[in-house]
Amino acid sequence: MADKRSVGHAYNIDFLNVVFAASSIFLFVTTIWMIWDDYDREWKDYQRRFVQLEREVTQASLAAAQAQVDQAQVAELRRELAQAGQEAAASRDQRDALEAQLADVEADLFLTNQEFQSTKAVYDAERYEFEELQEADPERAAGARAEIDEMYQHWLELGLEVERLTARRDDLRAEIAVFTQREVEIDADLRELTSETDRLGTRVADLQPSLVNDLILNAPLLDFMAPTITVRQVVTPQVVEDVNFTRVAKMDRCTTCHLAIDREGYEEYPQPFRTHSNLDAYVGSASPHPVGRYGCTVCHEGMGQSLTFRHASHTPAGEEQTVRWEHDFGWEEPHLWDYPMLPTEMTEASCAKCHRETVFVPEGPKLNRAYGLYERAGCYACHKTRGFEELRRPGPSLTKIASKLEPDWVARWIREPRAIKASTWMPRVWYNSNTNAPEDAVRNEAEIDAVVAYLFANSEEHRFAVRFPRRGDAGRGRELVESVGCLACHVSGDESRLEAGPRRTFGQPLQNIGNKTSFEWLFDWVRDPRHVSPGTYMPDLRLTDDEVSDIAAYLATLGGPEGDAARASFTGADVTGILTDYLRAIVPTDEARATVAALSAEERRIELGRRAIGRYGCYSCHEIKGFEETQPIGIELSEEGSKLLPRLDFAFVHEIPHTKTDWFKQKLTDPRSFDRSRVLQPLEKLRMPDYGFSTEESTLLATAIMSFQSDVQPLASQVPGSARNDALRAGRNLVRRRNCIACHEIEADGGDYRELVDDPGLAPPLLTPEGAKVRPEWLYAFFRDPITIRPWLDVRMPTFGLDDAHWNRAIDYFAAVSESIGPFRTHDAIVEPGVTRTGEELFELLRCQQCHVLDTIPEDQPTDNLAPDLRMAQERLQPDWILDWLVAPLEIQPGTRMPMFWTEYPGSFYPQFDGDAVRQIEAVRDYLLTFRGGPSPLRGN
Amino acid sequence: MDAIKGFINLFADPRLFFILSVAALAVIVWKREAFSKNVVGYGLLGLLTVFFAFGLLDENFRLIVVKPDNVPIVALIFLVIFFTWYAIREGVRNDRRMAAGDDPIEKDESDRVWVWPDLVYTELIALILCTAILVVWSIGIEAPLEQPANPANTPNPSKAPWYFLGLQEMLVYFDPWLAGVVLPTLIIVGLMAIPYVDTNPKGNGYYTFRERRAEITIFLFGFLVLWSSLIVLGTFLRGPNWNFFGPFEYWDIHKLEPLTNVQLSDFIWVRLLGQPLPENWFVRELFGIVLTLAYVAVLPVLMARTFRNYYEKLGPARFYVTAMLLLMMLSLPVKMLTRWVFNLKYVVSIPEYFFNI
Repeated sequence: MADKRSVGHAYNIDFLNVVFAASSIFLFVTTIWMIWDDYDREWKDYQRRFVQLEREVTQASLAAAQAQVDQAQVAELRRELAQAGQEAAASRDQRDALEAQLADVEADLFLTNQEFQSTKAVYDAERYEFEELQEADPERAAGARAEIDEMYQHWLELGLEVERLTARRDDLRAEIAVFTQREVEIDADLRELTSETDRLGTRVADLQPSLVNDLILNAPLLDFMAPTITVRQVVTPQVVEDVNFTRVAKMDRCTTCHLAIDREGYEEYPQPFRTHSNLDAYVGSASPHPVGRYGCTVCHEGMGQSLTFRHASHTPAGEEQTVRWEHDFGWEEPHLWDYPMLPTEMTEASCAKCHRETVFVPEGPKLNRAYGLYERAGCYACHKTRGFEELRRPGPSLTKIASKLEPDWVARWIREPRAIKASTWMPRVWYNSNTNAPEDAVRNEAEIDAVVAYLFANSEEHRFAVRFPRRGDAGRGRELVESVGCLACHVSGDESRLEAGPRRTFGQPLQNIGNKTSFEWLFDWVRDPRHVSPGTYMPDLRLTDDEVSDIAAYLATLGGPEGDAARASFTGADVTGILTDYLRAIVPTDEARATVAALSAEERRIELGRRAIGRYGCYSCHEIKGFEETQPIGIELSEEGSKLLPRLDFAFVHEIPHTKTDWFKQKLTDPRSFDRSRVLQPLEKLRMPDYGFSTEESTLLATAIMSFQSDVQPLASQVPGSARNDALRAGRNLVRRRNCIACHEIEADGGDYRELVDDPGLAPPLLTPEGAKVRPEWLYAFFRDPITIRPWLDVRMPTFGLDDAHWNRAIDYFAAVSESIGPFRTHDAIVEPGVTRTGEELFELLRCQQCHVLDTIPEDQPTDNLAPDLRMAQERLQPDWILDWLVAPLEIQPGTRMPMFWTEYPGSFYPQFDGDAVRQIEAVRDYLLTFRGGPSPLRGN
Repeated sequence: MDAIKGFINLFADPRLFFILSVAALAVIVWKREAFSKNVVGYGLLGLLTVFFAFGLLDENFRLIVVKPDNVPIVALIFLVIFFTWYAIREGVRNDRRMAAGDDPIEKDESDRVWVWPDLVYTELIALILCTAILVVWSIGIEAPLEQPANPANTPNPSKAPWYFLGLQEMLVYFDPWLAGVVLPTLIIVGLMAIPYVDTNPKGNGYYTFRERRAEITIFLFGFLVLWSSLIVLGTFLRGPNWNFFGPFEYWDIHKLEPLTNVQLSDFIWVRLLGQPLPENWFVRELFGIVLTLAYVAVLPVLMARTFRNYYEKLGPARFYVTAMLLLMMLSLPVKMLTRWVFNLKYVVSIPEYFFNI
């Protein structure tokens, strides 16, 4: 046994030494590893690579800039500079003497100035002490006064000396400059010529590999002091991050890797170095959204603070990119950030964060199209959505269904609308992925039958305006349909919904319409749609009864598939059972049974129809008697884009990526798929109908949904409220919701009808300049009662029958687009005969009448050269706009046939008024305004 | 492979898990001679390693185990098993020596060592190793920035820090005021009371089991079964909605567990006596109140009668404090058992005063 008193070792010290050595080496290695790990960060590597890339790009632009510079001129200037230098050398001695004097004066000035400044400092301190003394002890202070004043005098004298020396120095400099004046001038010229190449040259030099930068400033471990490789960030008080308890300025570090995002010249390089697309609209410093003010994540989403690819929550576009990212970056589905980046195809959804309550955002074509689809599919009817509240029901009214349709057709239609009209927006409510099992067929058929029974039982009587219309000529009807403008809103052929787009599917497809309804009904409808359905958006094309009967005859010939027949038969017991099932959900079972028992078989059918319509929300899209006040069935989507992922139930659908956008797309593609593998009673099943959306359609609609965001961004970031902006917003919505843009292009959007005419000259006119062009009172009258402006056009401006509020909104909108100064303008009609005579001279000289109508249509011209009757000018056009038009017609309306007569503006080829184009144009305008008697909408208004 | 996973998942049930933990403890104590063999200790660690290696091949298992927050718990499993085994082994060795009339091993060693190198040198080495391990850990396991906390969107499951997961597990069985306030306080007070209650000098400075049989068993029950294993359970087996998931099971948020628990008053009044529940809460909960009072007041007295030698050895004050602490500790398994066997929700339930036991 060991001696308890002695001191021993608890460990083998030799072994401890080995452990110590090993752990020290371990620590050393981990420290090196730590430093390397910091040096090797993803973003640092990108910046190192970018230096090289920037060098190449700058060198290339330097070479390009050098090629632009006139080298001969540079050489000449250099030679002159050398010569001037030689000439100046002759007066070397004189200059040297002056420069020696200047050096003396400058030294003197420096010293005197220094003393002048320190005297002032000392004086200020002394004065303060004196002031304090004077307050505390006036008697003692009296003695010290002289000292202070003397010091002040001394300071003033020094000031004089400084001024004298400064003047002397400037004189000497001027004397010396006389000798070098020529050199300085040539040098300035030379600099001006080479300023761009010099700037780029300096940049290239800065970018050269540098010992200091690479080996010291950016070296591992030393790079904490003043590295050139640094985190770049944009802090944007303009747009904020919602951190739930408060809102903070966004802090985007994306530019740490996306180094050239706002710089031109990197368009072809791979990410992260590629230039942003469309720099004029986004990110560029001159764009409305410079990166320094708006950052990146307000549009793209993702975690702006993050410096790694993965944690920034990049979202891949498609399967292939996902696989590549997983391999290259160890990418994983982001789950550490509530709002991962939007797929690039959906980025425009973010426009709506600041451009609120509008269905048109300039430079946002995808979002605009998405909103078009959203309205066309009628999503807002079931799903309340902010900004889409006051819209009409998207489907036709069913209150007069018995006069229009046959019950059997309606049942086939409901069973599978797309089997009858391939491009319809009417969705399939029954036989969807959760109700198309064989055992569901009986219930489906019973419900379809009941719904039809309810609709017909609740149909009002309708009296046709003309009881026995003459059957017209289908061939002529077809020509009319294809020419007067029906196809702007209706698809007639086998064009798909996607090809035709939301504007040309504004009205029901005309496919198969002959199977649907009767010639008499079609006649009644086309003749006066409002007679049938007072709330319809279908305008009046002012057709004669003969034309109407031709069109109706043509439409009645449009046939197609019969649609799907019933897939099961059912009995009265089935109806009773299903109806009881519906009622049991709201009242006790016994009461439900008693209620059903008290009804006759037909009443049961109709009651089941009422329940089914209520359950599937048919009334959201269609006006149905008995459901006028019923709330829509869908959830509100006003802030759906901000919804958090855990709020969306993926159920057993695991094969899609776990993201919000993919959930929405899945929901849109197969609305009932989240019921898959679930055991559900019929009334527990999902009930959104199936629209048969294509991938592109569901992507666009998901974009629209993602744009419905909660109000997070501050007012300062929103489009500011002003009369003009309000008019723009209201007008943009109006021209889309009434489908004006199907025919007319406005603000570089719309005018789809152009594709349907062979010659662009025969398309409806461009309306972007309308606000500057026409007088508002004329426009108002024209809206109310359109006149024919271009008789050679087949397509017609319809009579819309909108109320004054709408027309004023349209007129304000055109004014806002043109940034018009307002409706009232000074224009003194000049009656000086001399002037109008000159105008007439020019009018003849320029042969305006060759294309313009002046009562008669010029006969020898092709129709696309023809132009409106000039007799309308006085009533129709704004006098100052005529001037702008004559100066540069192509700028106002690209593609116009109107020639530009004053190419030398403000000079002129024409001798009148001594070649003064301004006066010549005014004279032509004044002459035009003397015409009277053209067609006018104002008469009779 | 799937069959094995399914089999292991099958065992991941809170009841089985708890019963198996208790059974394992019983085996350790009872068969300690066998348990203390090297082959058993290292074998256990080896088996565990194989289990984890095999488990990591499974996506769901990997998701839970490799989650940065959970990595320390993996280490905890290995460390707790190792040190338990080590202590038992040392205890068993000394017991054997003492049974043969020898002194414990520790007595042979000198009881004074040098500050340098024995103390300072080992501290330095520990310092270096800890630093290096922390550096490697922080490089190897990222701690990424997450989304801002959102009171309207709490994580599911919302888990306490790992060291409180045992407490959180208690919330399944007890009202928050008990599981969150009274019992944690008693744990702290109880730990502080140990030196004053347990004045037995045996086992000081050396490992032994036989001389401290009851104390070690109670400690292991409290520490291994009620604390460590509940931490492991809370970390790896509690998923969304605090539901139980096997280690290889997908954490499906839709998984449901029927909640059909019944109050004691329902049992007695409705099921046993066939009467509606009394209006008055005191009358209604009378049985529960009597039962609770009996548990804390009568049971200690009965224990004093039963374990007379202990009572005499400790004296009344120490005995009753010990008995009280022991009963409080046992209240958790008791409550668990009644929940599992009888679906008992609360013994006393007075929602009128937000009071439940």
